[in-house]
Amino acid sequence: MTGGVTPDDRALVVDIAQTQPMPLAGGFRCEAGELLALVGPSGAGKTSMLRVLAGLMRPASGRVRVGSETWCDSAAHVFLPPQRRHVGLVFQNYALMPHLDAVHNVALALLHLGRPQRLARARHWLDHVQLTAQQQARRPADLSGGQQQRVAVARALAREPRLLLLDEPFSAVDQMSRRSLYRLLADLRRDLHIPIVLVTHDLQEARLLADRLVVMDGGQVLQQGPPDTIHRAPRNARVADLVGIQNRLRGQWIGPGPETGRGQLRWVVEGGDPGAGPVLCVRDKGKLPAGQRVTWVIPGDAITLLDHAPDRPAPGEWAVQVTDARYLGEITLATLAVERLPGAELTLTLAGPQRRTLQPGARLGVRLDLDLVHVMPLRS
Amino acid sequence: MDWQALILSLELAAVTLAVLLPMGLMLARWLAYTAFAGKAWIEALVVLPLVLPPTVLGYYLLVSMGANSPIGRWAGEHLGLQLTFNFAGLVLASVIFNIPFMVQPVQRAFEAIPRQLGEAAAVSGLSAWQTFWRIELPLAWPGILSAMVLTFVHTLGEFGVVLMVGGSIPGETRTIAIAIYDRVQAFDLASADRMALLLLLLSLGAVAASFFASARLAVRR
Repeated sequence: MTGGVTPDDRALVVDIAQTQPMPLAGGFRCEAGELLALVGPSGAGKTSMLRVLAGLMRPASGRVRVGSETWCDSAAHVFLPPQRRHVGLVFQNYALMPHLDAVHNVALALLHLGRPQRLARARHWLDHVQLTAQQQARRPADLSGGQQQRVAVARALAREPRLLLLDEPFSAVDQMSRRSLYRLLADLRRDLHIPIVLVTHDLQEARLLADRLVVMDGGQVLQQGPPDTIHRAPRNARVADLVGIQNRLRGQWIGPGPETGRGQLRWVVEGGDPGAGPVLCVRDKGKLPAGQRVTWVIPGDAITLLDHAPDRPAPGEWAVQVTDARYLGEITLATLAVERLPGAELTLTLAGPQRRTLQPGARLGVRLDLDLVHVMPLRS
Repeated sequence: MDWQALILSLELAAVTLAVLLPMGLMLARWLAYTAFAGKAWIEALVVLPLVLPPTVLGYYLLVSMGANSPIGRWAGEHLGLQLTFNFAGLVLASVIFNIPFMVQPVQRAFEAIPRQLGEAAAVSGLSAWQTFWRIELPLAWPGILSAMVLTFVHTLGEFGVVLMVGGSIPGETRTIAIAIYDRVQAFDLASADRMALLLLLLSLGAVAASFFASARLAVRR
């Protein structure tokens, strides 16, 4: 999902380096109109990064710039407090004021205006997020999770922010409200044309909504890029793990050949005979030494299910046996044992009529598109 | 019925409250929001008047504020004030004696406000003062109200400290609690009876009213 964003002078540029009190390091850029998702497990530093952007946490060293404004520059001893940043932040648990109704919650962000104007603007923003007049007069405790979420979004927008930050905004709302909030977010992106940074641990959500992913772990930015790029070519096994690539397999790099730009990879099963596996002819970027133990990944898109086991398998084709098939509503998650290599397994998610063939015990075939295999050195 | 003593007690309670409220709010908020080494000692000091026998507290106040003590001399020379056996001394003693009654409930009330609300206020552009006024104070209000009532009622019924620091000077330091004691000593049980009942009803009414008000004011979260 790329919104045809062109770089301009309203982009967010971040570069943070800190080791104390907790490690936080890495940089990224988010263009105006672009939605960037910070993803990673809990404790990865996503929320800390967001707090740095909002001005709620002062990094030991680093820079934050939005457009021509410098919000933080440790070298120049610049650190603007949140009050002086034009930033909208939607908190994970909304952080609405329990003693104020929705209108007055939003009006809180508009104290620079006179009272009548302030309330009128607050109502305008609440109309914008589709809250009815009755709902606008209610306190947070009398609103549903999804409605509270909308009030929090309206409060963030009322600041007319130059940067919108969303901290796990959908984690506490039900599936129905989530879908309508996704739509709201899509509308906002179109209308606002500012950088939007979303923190989420839900990868599906990140892929669905974001133009760019920034993968974090242990306070470090590990990789960034468009979701499909990261999915196809994770930088290392940890990133592959974090972005939820199902087929992470072991292997040994034999070396380049037989033609230029190609290399040979032996598929190895952990604990098995290292010489027993089949040799795959994959793309080679010339970075790996011969003999290197590697992790390789293959995206789901590159696995085609064949409705029978091939008698004379072509390169990249294998006979498999279905060992497990889990029916997950619209999709089925299947585990396939590769007959040629005992212990080797592939995981496949499948939708559509073909998944009816996925009965445990069934003998089928798979064809792997070896051009999409991505090889990474195994970290020792 | 010693009306003079009742009025003196009400005056003492009102003045104590007026002096203690701003100080107590600041101290309670500071304790609620700040973490530092040795905080437990400060908190222990705040609670001390609650656990110390009033006579012990009164004794130290008498010794430290007496005309021959450094504090007493300083107050005498610079403020023209005598701090023992008069109303000013009673106020000072009463303020110190009531610190836990004011600070503890208010500190708990501030602590109960989620930190995120302050951060949300800052991100919404509110200054520290605006946040205090528009967010913290309304949310802590039930706690503050009950602290005020407790302080007031507790001052009305104060006995040991008042006797040690103030004695029983009519119109100056003879509060209603002291007056009851004096009446009992003089075997005037009828007067003591009336005054004790009045104090009982006044205290019960005030505390009950504050509980009702707190329940009504409490904001659902």
